[in-house]
Amino acid sequence: MLYIQLLVDGLVTGCAVGLVALSFSYFYATTGIFHVAHAGIYTLSGYIALHFVKLGLPFVAALAIAIAVAAGVGAFIQVTLYARLEKRGASPLVKMIASIGVLTVLQNIVALTFTPNILQFDLPWRISLVHVFGIGLSIPQLILLIVSPLILFAMLAFSRWTPLGKRIRAVASNPELAETTQLHPERIFIYVIAIASGLVAVPAVLVGVDQAMQPYTSLLVLLTAIIAIIPGGIGSMGGAFVMSILLAVIQSVSVMLVSGRWSIALVFAVFIVFILWRPEGLFRRNFNRQI
Amino acid sequence: MNFFFSFLVLAEIFAVLALSTNLLLGVVGIFSVAQAAIMGIGAYTFAGLAIAGIPMPIALIAAIVLCGIINVIASLPSLRLAGDYFIITSFGIQLVATAVFINWSDVTGGATGLSGIPIVEIFGQKFVRAGPFLILSSIALGVVSLSFWLLMRAPYGRLLHAIRQDEIAVVAAGHRVLLAKVGVSAVSGMYAGVAGALYAAYIAFIDPASFDIHVSILAVTMVVVGGARTLAGSILGPLLLLAIPQLLALIDIPSTVVGPVRQLTYGALLIAFMLWRPQGIAGKSL
Repeated sequence: MLYIQLLVDGLVTGCAVGLVALSFSYFYATTGIFHVAHAGIYTLSGYIALHFVKLGLPFVAALAIAIAVAAGVGAFIQVTLYARLEKRGASPLVKMIASIGVLTVLQNIVALTFTPNILQFDLPWRISLVHVFGIGLSIPQLILLIVSPLILFAMLAFSRWTPLGKRIRAVASNPELAETTQLHPERIFIYVIAIASGLVAVPAVLVGVDQAMQPYTSLLVLLTAIIAIIPGGIGSMGGAFVMSILLAVIQSVSVMLVSGRWSIALVFAVFIVFILWRPEGLFRRNFNRQI
Repeated sequence: MNFFFSFLVLAEIFAVLALSTNLLLGVVGIFSVAQAAIMGIGAYTFAGLAIAGIPMPIALIAAIVLCGIINVIASLPSLRLAGDYFIITSFGIQLVATAVFINWSDVTGGATGLSGIPIVEIFGQKFVRAGPFLILSSIALGVVSLSFWLLMRAPYGRLLHAIRQDEIAVVAAGHRVLLAKVGVSAVSGMYAGVAGALYAAYIAFIDPASFDIHVSILAVTMVVVGGARTLAGSILGPLLLLAIPQLLALIDIPSTVVGPVRQLTYGALLIAFMLWRPQGIAGKSL
């Protein structure tokens, strides 16, 4: 029974990390920018929702505002920072260092506005348990379990069938050709970062409701997500999502074997060994980007 | 005056760490956000040995050697991995190191850290206050700077620059890139070991938070703001960035917001320099 509970816990965490992985991967595969500031948007959107719930708005409205603000901030970063750096021919390394700067700024704006302490949502339903087949799940966990796969399928459908989705794929696969054929990559990048940032607000808010929030923890979430992206194959949203779940389940169940405080270190250690052994990921894909 | 000396000692310790980061990030082009972790290993080694009563010069040498070895191991993935993958590995190494500092409590004292690190004593002279300690840290920074300066002027230094610019051409010219990278990683690690040992000896207390990811990012910021690849940049960067908290102390703001305001300033500086002056104050373009 304990195993099943751990399995389900891992599944829930995996869904949240999966959404982070999916959204990061979407922007990264399109632009090649190592967008560390994605973690900053994660932090920010959780606190935005917290703020509006505190003001008395219904939770769904607060979530919607958080998604909108995240998308807006993402687009702002693209326009004011990444696009300018691109115009100056900055190397990927320079873009990433700037992105670390944005992450630091966002986290500390949050820490200054909301204090660096642990904060919790003031929602009475957040701890009420629902029992599904004898497994206790909180309502935010249940929402995550249902919504995350839906978002994955929506994104896959969007990318496959809508005109914008197709344009994004075209830009991702060949930016130079997209430029010459009037697809306006720089405009596409704004859409992509807005979508990715809006998406990352969903797990940020739901995990925030389920557990608690602190300004400086999001980088770890993002790194766990990136660790899942690599074996899943960069550019593959499904792969990133499935690997996130797999990793989270392994990490959750591993508590039975090793002490929980070591589990993060263990995941990273396994990852470092894995990446040395098979840098191209489990599912070989042609993606080589030098920094 | 002690206040000012204390600032200088810290700036010199961080200049050594910045040079360690500069060698990897600026000179060879291996991105690293794990130099604070290596510095931490040096600090814990030095502190542990010194507390156990082992003579300080031996503890210092042990810290330097161990850090050199571990930095080579930590940089090994970069020999096989292209850019972005190594960034994640580097973040990963930093996080694993912090987890070890926190959880291996028998050796590191856990989250509470190690205190009671003995005072440095040379020929009966005790280096307790910042003033006398400044002599020690200046000697250390002098030795490290001299070695950096010599390294950059040697044929080996030119080889390192060439690797950053075009690795394939260097291989084609018959140079052994692998050996050069391992060598520079070892030197960078040794610098970090010096910084760690100095830090432990000066502060006389170390904990995991002294060597976490924020410190690594701070080291990168120092290199970027001061200027990559130059000696002057790695000394200017720490002086300027460590002056910021001192200035914040002059303005009357509540002590709880000092940390976030300082971090916010560092983040804003990183963005500003990348946008308008990627070469830093006294460096060359990244």
